[in-house]
Amino acid sequence: MFHWLEKHPFFFAVGVFVTIAFAGLIEIVPNFAEASRPSIGTKPYTTLELAGRHVYIKNSCNACHSQLIRPFKAETDRYGDYSLSGEYAYDRPFLWGSKRTGPDLMRVGNYRTTDWHENHMRDPRSVVPGSIMPAYAWLFENSADVDTAYAEQVTVRDFFSVPYNQEIPMKDGSKETVVLADTLAGAQASALEEAKLVAADMKDKSVQDAVSAGQIPEIVALIAYMNSLK
Amino acid sequence: MDIAQLQAYGYFFLVLFLVVVLYSYIYHLYKNRKDHDGVDYEKYSNMALNDDITDKPVNKVSDKETKKVGDKNE
Amino acid sequence: MENRPLEYDYTVAKMFMLTTVLLGIVGMLVGVILAWQLAFPSVNTILGSGVAEYTNFSRLRPLHTDAVIFGFTLSGIWATWYYVGQRVLKVSMAESKVLMFLGKLHFWLYLVGVVAVVVSLLLGITTSKEYAEFEWPIDIAIVIVWVIWGLSLFGLIGMRREKSLYISIWYYIATFLGIAMLYLFNNMEIPTYFASGGIGAWWHSVSMYSGTNDALVQWWYGHNAVAFGFTVPIVAMIYYFLPKESGQAVFSYKLSLLSFWGLMFVYLWAGGHHLLFSTVPDWMQTMSSVFSVILILPSWGSAINMLLTMKGEWQQVASSPLIKFMVLASTFYMFSTLEGPIQAIKSVNAIAHFTDWIVGHVHDGTLGWVAFMIMAALFHMAPRVFKREIYSKSLMNTQFWIQTLGVVLYFTSMWIAGITQGMMWRAHDEFGNLAYSFIDTVTVLHPYYTIRAVGGTLYLIGMFLFAWNMYKTMTAGRRVEENELQNASPMAA
Repeated sequence: MFHWLEKHPFFFAVGVFVTIAFAGLIEIVPNFAEASRPSIGTKPYTTLELAGRHVYIKNSCNACHSQLIRPFKAETDRYGDYSLSGEYAYDRPFLWGSKRTGPDLMRVGNYRTTDWHENHMRDPRSVVPGSIMPAYAWLFENSADVDTAYAEQVTVRDFFSVPYNQEIPMKDGSKETVVLADTLAGAQASALEEAKLVAADMKDKSVQDAVSAGQIPEIVALIAYMNSLK
Repeated sequence: MDIAQLQAYGYFFLVLFLVVVLYSYIYHLYKNRKDHDGVDYEKYSNMALNDDITDKPVNKVSDKETKKVGDKNE
Repeated sequence: MENRPLEYDYTVAKMFMLTTVLLGIVGMLVGVILAWQLAFPSVNTILGSGVAEYTNFSRLRPLHTDAVIFGFTLSGIWATWYYVGQRVLKVSMAESKVLMFLGKLHFWLYLVGVVAVVVSLLLGITTSKEYAEFEWPIDIAIVIVWVIWGLSLFGLIGMRREKSLYISIWYYIATFLGIAMLYLFNNMEIPTYFASGGIGAWWHSVSMYSGTNDALVQWWYGHNAVAFGFTVPIVAMIYYFLPKESGQAVFSYKLSLLSFWGLMFVYLWAGGHHLLFSTVPDWMQTMSSVFSVILILPSWGSAINMLLTMKGEWQQVASSPLIKFMVLASTFYMFSTLEGPIQAIKSVNAIAHFTDWIVGHVHDGTLGWVAFMIMAALFHMAPRVFKREIYSKSLMNTQFWIQTLGVVLYFTSMWIAGITQGMMWRAHDEFGNLAYSFIDTVTVLHPYYTIRAVGGTLYLIGMFLFAWNMYKTMTAGRRVEENELQNASPMAA
């Protein structure tokens, strides 16, 4: 039977391909539409939050921190409600991670403050003695890339119908709208407004000066992102 | 029938099919010992052992030699 | 020209041997730095706080995994392909100018890709998907390199003298097809610069899948990149190099047929075991768990076939360090393919997932199986491509024992670390409150992280011995005649 295949490389290759492609089809296709539906109360990211998410990715925070709370008592006690598929509907890419060298961050916005993050990112051991996390001092100096974040927002709105500027139902029955500016300049301005709110809670003088001068350090964007994780 | 049920049936019959096919294949291999070119399967192991370019192939590609000459003339 | 006997042409094989050794050292050096950083965080600023951005754990971690997977392992796969392929098909690359050109183009484009990857990862340009961190321009380059390899692979097969394809060739073909399919589908992304009409960074892209779907596609890829990068091509190597070096025909050709098709069918289903207790559907989690356990059969089929090939010839294990490397590799393969399914059982996974036990599992597979097999393959190839004796047998033995000790320290410490952490995360006191804060579960790991770093360092030292031995073989080994190269590789004391 198969010895015929070994003498005919083309059909052999086709045979191998069908055998290995089969599993992917069965596993991924049937649930595709259902799994990409957002749950009630899940909002797309604002420009600044998305820029912060890019900072998170740039520094591979996901190498040590998961964003996936499993349905065990120990995990819900420690991190909050277990994760639902719809909560990730606007996560491109997903950031579940595969290793918890540090704690899960799925709902870190519920229990950490801007102030805490500021100290922690500058010197982790000043807030958590014994921590093995490296310090991220350069986040206070580098500027966040708001332009790319805006480009991504426009892309996902156009290609995947992410509901910017539309009413989104919240859990308490109210409606909220995530605004996406029409122009890049508009997006930069709204990101700066958001950044000012975050910077107001920060102590670092240079960060505050930068924000008043119209710049957005990476740390501000990152904190805006982490505060949005709820 | 919803998709989950279809998947379950598909899955069951697939497993059944594979069990039958694979076991009959094993039976076939061990009963026949030789493939339809008349070469004992186990002889194919010699492809690794006698692999100098001057060694005789276990099962030669026929009409290959004439084609080779054409290649060389390029 | 007319009268010179036809010989195999190892030019391209030699090029890839070089990158195997170099990128192996780079990848493992970065790994060792990471290990010390986890044990002693001050290592993060080892080159001063000015360049901390480029030396800290999170920037280096993707560089480590990608350097060992796409640098060391892939180079090893190609080095052996350009060697084994010619031999078992009984056709020389010297017979076709086109194939020779494609082979060299393959190498140089690959090298360009490697440089682009290193630079972009250090700069933090990443998509965050594990083992698929590269942004779209590099993805396109990788696809081109892959297509060139495909042309060269099927081109060589097309001119073969041997009608039937040897076992190793099946596995190389599967590697080519598997990675091609997985890589393409996992890296479906839209460049935002072009989609938004020229805003922002030109290299940035956004995934076509979101959330749960993205996770599913990623781990379908991630798991099977291991399948088609760390298992399939390495099996291809051992099916050629162990019989050849020991002079023993494969124990059972029929068993190798069954193992091959079994592995092809079963492996792909198991990807979901990376997502147990996540938000992917339950049926998929259970199915991946079940298939992971079934996967023991085809994996052990190959491994047992290899061990039985040595039947009655075990004295060779004692006498030849090269055989030692390969027998230990297939033993680690069995061990690793048993450990994996155990971790994929849901109740075990509840403890093991997110812990260092997973890291330990990866490393007993990669250090014990993949790297040992690739190094053995290169040791076997060296006398044949350089026409020189292996420089030092005793150095090989030393390397073997240093690295074996390194692997053992690595996985034992990671077992203890992983299970300790998994148990501490879930521990409750008598009132039902969590017994430990998260930082308790970090500080407790310090001794194990230190042991792991020592183990990794030992392995890296072995890599340097390997590189030295290869270098001396190439430049100073005694010249050998063709008739000394039939089976056991010639090596000087």
